[in-house]
Amino acid sequence: MDYFEPKTVSEALSLLDQHGDQAEVIAGGTDVMVDIKYSDEPGCLVNIKRIPDLNAIRESNGGVHIGPLATIHELEESDLVRERLPLLWQAAHQFASLQIRNTATIGGNICRASPSGETLAPLLVLEAQAEVTFSDGARTEPFGAFFQGPGQTSLGSRGLLTGISVPFPAAGSHAVYLKHAVRGPMDIAMVGVAVMATANGDKTALDDVRIGLGAVAPTPVRAPKTEALVSGKALDAALVKEAGASAASESSPITDQRSSGEYRGWIVDALTRRGLEQCWQALTGKEVA
Amino acid sequence: MGLEIKLTVNGNTHTAELEPSTALVDFLRDTLGYKGVKLCCNTGECGACTIIMDGKPVNSCVVLGADAAGADLVTVEGIADGDELHPVQQAFIDTGAVQCGYCTPGFIVSLKALLDRTKSPTAEDVEEAISGNICRCTGYTKIFDAVDLAAKRMS
Amino acid sequence: MAKAEYTVLGTDMPRKGGVERVVGKGVYGIDLNLPDALSGGVLRSEHAHAKIVNIDTSEAKAIPGVRAVVTAADAPDVRYGRSYIDRYILAKDKVRYMGDPVAAVAADSQALVKEALGKIKVTYEPLPVVVDPEETMKESAPTIHEDMPLPKNLPEGVQVKNVCGYAAVNIGDAEAAMAEADVVVDEVYETKMIHPQYLEPRIAAARPEEDGRITVWANAQAPFPVRTEVASLTGLPLNSVRVISTGIGGGFGGKGSGVTSSAGLEPICALLALTAKQPVMIVMDKAEETISTTIRSGCKIWIKTGAKKDGTLVARQGKVVYDAGGYSGFGNQAGGRCTQMVGGWYRLPNIHMDGFTVYTNKQVCGPVRGPGGPQATFAMESHMDSLAAELGMDPIEFRLKNVPEKGDGIVGVPKLRDSSLAETLNTAKEKIGWGKVKLGKNQGIGFATGAWIEGAGPGGGAVVKMNEDGSATVHIGKVDYGTAAPFGIPMIVAEVLGISTDDVTVLNVDTDASPWDAGTVGSRSMLVSGNAVKLAAEDARDQILRMAAGQLEASPEDLEIVDRQIQVKGAPSRSVSLASVCNAGHNEIGDVIGRGYFDSKASQADERERGSSQPFTTHAALVEVDADTGNVKILKYVAVHDVGFVVHPKAVEGQIEGAAAMSLGQALCEQVVHDSDGRTLNPTFVDYLMPTINMLPRIEAVTVSGYPGAGPYGTKGAGEIGSVPPMACIANAIYNATGVRVRRLPLSPENVLRALREAGK
Ligand SMILES: Cc1cc2nc3c(=O)[nH]c(=O)nc-3n(C[C@H](O)[C@H](O)[C@H](O)COP(=O)(O)OP(=O)(O)OC[C@H]3O[C@@H](n4cnc5c(N)ncnc54)[C@H](O)[C@@H]3O)c2cc1C
Ligand code: FES
Ligand code: FES
Repeated sequence: MDYFEPKTVSEALSLLDQHGDQAEVIAGGTDVMVDIKYSDEPGCLVNIKRIPDLNAIRESNGGVHIGPLATIHELEESDLVRERLPLLWQAAHQFASLQIRNTATIGGNICRASPSGETLAPLLVLEAQAEVTFSDGARTEPFGAFFQGPGQTSLGSRGLLTGISVPFPAAGSHAVYLKHAVRGPMDIAMVGVAVMATANGDKTALDDVRIGLGAVAPTPVRAPKTEALVSGKALDAALVKEAGASAASESSPITDQRSSGEYRGWIVDALTRRGLEQCWQALTGKEVA
Repeated sequence: MGLEIKLTVNGNTHTAELEPSTALVDFLRDTLGYKGVKLCCNTGECGACTIIMDGKPVNSCVVLGADAAGADLVTVEGIADGDELHPVQQAFIDTGAVQCGYCTPGFIVSLKALLDRTKSPTAEDVEEAISGNICRCTGYTKIFDAVDLAAKRMS
Repeated sequence: MAKAEYTVLGTDMPRKGGVERVVGKGVYGIDLNLPDALSGGVLRSEHAHAKIVNIDTSEAKAIPGVRAVVTAADAPDVRYGRSYIDRYILAKDKVRYMGDPVAAVAADSQALVKEALGKIKVTYEPLPVVVDPEETMKESAPTIHEDMPLPKNLPEGVQVKNVCGYAAVNIGDAEAAMAEADVVVDEVYETKMIHPQYLEPRIAAARPEEDGRITVWANAQAPFPVRTEVASLTGLPLNSVRVISTGIGGGFGGKGSGVTSSAGLEPICALLALTAKQPVMIVMDKAEETISTTIRSGCKIWIKTGAKKDGTLVARQGKVVYDAGGYSGFGNQAGGRCTQMVGGWYRLPNIHMDGFTVYTNKQVCGPVRGPGGPQATFAMESHMDSLAAELGMDPIEFRLKNVPEKGDGIVGVPKLRDSSLAETLNTAKEKIGWGKVKLGKNQGIGFATGAWIEGAGPGGGAVVKMNEDGSATVHIGKVDYGTAAPFGIPMIVAEVLGISTDDVTVLNVDTDASPWDAGTVGSRSMLVSGNAVKLAAEDARDQILRMAAGQLEASPEDLEIVDRQIQVKGAPSRSVSLASVCNAGHNEIGDVIGRGYFDSKASQADERERGSSQPFTTHAALVEVDADTGNVKILKYVAVHDVGFVVHPKAVEGQIEGAAAMSLGQALCEQVVHDSDGRTLNPTFVDYLMPTINMLPRIEAVTVSGYPGAGPYGTKGAGEIGSVPPMACIANAIYNATGVRVRRLPLSPENVLRALREAGK
């Protein structure tokens, strides 16, 4: 196996160009190391961890710029993330064990593009942008376009994720990330649901409701019909119930060793309801009637 | 063989060669002889291979060996002060938290890292620090006891 | 039941070998450093059921650095097994589960092993696969072992196939009595396969010696059975095989049944070493283990019980179908035990049970922690709650009404000399706060009792050899994986000899030197080796006192050893040091070597005569069910046990807590999942979910005063019984919380929510 430790992004990109499908990028390695052991070894490993400054977390242009090499624990430790991006913070906080959080990077989580990836549904809900770089240039794109299928992203085999920009959510918004698993953070999520909303001026209705669903479709997805159903309305028990069912119908979960598709649908329903109720309560100070 | 790396383990400097695809746990055990780093699941799930890397606990089975170049590592072998056991080590013995003992190095390292961060950990801190360490023998009760005892003795 | 009259017993002395373990010394099998050892590896079947048409090893053998490639053709035409001798060292003609070993390689490096394994070409002819234990009994099912007969004791007229064990319970006339019952409850329960998942992977190492012998290192719980099987499968005479046990990182019976438990790893390793004429070491990968080594089987249980209106049990009928897997393994024994235990441990005058152990195309059954017991108890004790509900009785009162008393018989025990079941029930009720704690929404309390009736087993010996400084070296046949060997055994020796446990060394098992033993299995460590070691230490002490008597001019009976001094009772100033007597012994009787033997037959006869005292238990749980997701959170868990005399309180509690945790894992989330082709879908720990510390409460182990058992000083086995009640206990708590009975494990969020929805909740 060939092995490289490029010191710059452009050096890394030319290695990817040179080695094509044979090359595998490695960041924290928590996914790649398991692949090396249990699947086939890649022909060549491009370790990007020695590229400086790719792990920055800083405020930039009305939002937060996150370098792909920032570890999950660095996100958790960052006051900027905790205070301004609580949705992402909650996802980081429920992400695996401390040992893994100290190793796994957000870039790896994104580029792995597993539908259950903890940070993905929150990034969709936060309407973050991916900064993707190829040897012929860089572009930004919304994550909705970036994720193309399980393990498939718009990077193909020659691109690098070089940054994530997350706009600050609207002032006064509230967000919750709910992970469903038997052993809490220790498991890969059976379902993850991210809900974010604001309240209207007199706190009688929710505005700009956003719902992201993880592990229930080939990519993480938003639930636009459900978002439209509840946005601009006051939440009551009937509407919450309708919203849960609607979100479930917007998911297309599969059956695997972790759970059946049918069950995942029930959980999308339950967690969407729970997420909406929690947002309503936080934003209006009232229980859902 | 490909790569030559230099690193510090428990204060000792090592220079050694490794295959680039080698996991850190295998490098530590097989090349450098740190057998206290235990190998179990090999997928980052059990914590038996936990070491402290540049101050942070990590699972050495999912860390690329090459990433240890220039790093400062602490393994379970480096936690006692000569013959003087670290309070966590002593507490594991005193509370009966060591049954087969195979998980013990991982727990000790995770807890040492915790107690380096804070002298008076809360229940949540403890849960967070060792939820990634599986023990199949004790059902964890005696491990909770050991943590309590160590924290008490250290404060 | 700790007594003040002892100096060492009843204290919490530090574990022997504790320091080595907390500082990370390489004491385990996996740490073995065998100079010049080749790496070994095993090629495993990728079909759950197939004919082997051809194995072509030529390409693998041609790789430089590959030193041995072996298949069944390279070994004697001999099979191994327990009740059915149905398995070759490497699969021959046929594979019967995915993971069945087919060939093995030894080479200069692990990378070469991997490469060579990839180059072995096996031509299979796939056969229909059967994974369901009920399906496999039907006429239409494929035949898994063509040349294995049905059990001889099968009742006449029963039309079945693929059955490799049958057990029955027949007490009174269950059918007639059932007709007299006021209330009858009839249910079906199902449990799934779990893997013991001890943390240290299986290893084997073998070194051919100059003199034609072979040394085998194994992290096995039963080194002597391993020796027997290595000898027979490689064709070596028994005395040419030496098995040395390494330190062991957990076993739970999974490393227990000779070479069966490791899918033949030790003889395969020996065969490679003999072929390569070089030492070989194999370390299994955990994922490889999940698919190939022995497991706790799944089973299906039909149970029907009749009771009088006042709650008196009158009759039980039932059936067990127990999954042995691709080979019989420990299936017959575990299935038989399961069948008995579904009969229960209450006063029940009429019982009829049929138990079938069956072959399927899955991993093989081993004696995993309480083999058959947790499964049986999930059904039996859930069923007791269903009966209580049907009768409108309090579950504790209903059980108390039926507990056996002194003089009663229960299934497997003709006569009890006492019974602590009621005491454990009452203590558990109190500790959990039944009727006292205010339960929140969807919270509930559940109870389940348990018993663990040690079956008959062989005896075992011990040797206590005194050193000239008064210290003692102990040989037993039990291995150290954190149970009696490093805790209770040295304490007994220290107590008898008046020395400190620091002066006692318990050696690892070496079949060349240690007394024979059937294995560290079945809660028998204290019973067998504890008794034997006590006798051996007493024998040594008697020899010492006889010698000292001359010097002190007293009779041996008037002497005692206190703190390494031999003194005249009541006149401690008349004393000599233990060391001087042991040393002087070299000129009188030679070494002081005490010998002891636990006579299992005599002990059983005595228990029959006097009645036996059983280690009863009751567990209690407080849970909260999330009715939206099905998640079950255990808020409090109490395990009340009568384990007789407690030699080392923390060690005993630790056994109980650990055993309970393992079954709580099975209750809530653990299972090996197969698809219909027999493929294991969750071989790694990523999806094989064992309890982590964040999902368990602090399990509270409580020992009641109880009654003395058959072990030394009145101990009872404690290693397995803790695993018996938890699954039923949680199911009963869920029932109490929600009114819904889940009859199928695991009580995972999905299964619980499904049951809640089906019940319209
Ligand atoms: C024990 C364990 C528990 C886990 N639990 C969770 C969990 O709870 N939630 C969860 O979401 N995930 C979990 N994971 C999965 C994994 O940790 C995450 O996906 C992690 O974020 C991956 O990051 P990494 O840096 O380790 O990635 P790596 O393994 O280094 O890389 C992952 C993938 O991304 C590619 N890649 C990485 N960085 C870039 C880049 N900048 N540009 C282009 N491609 C790149 C790599 O080529 C590879 O394909 C778990 C893994 C383990 C081993
Ligand atoms: S061996 Fe590394 S976490 Fe299990
Ligand atoms: S003591 Fe054996 S796994 Fe923890």
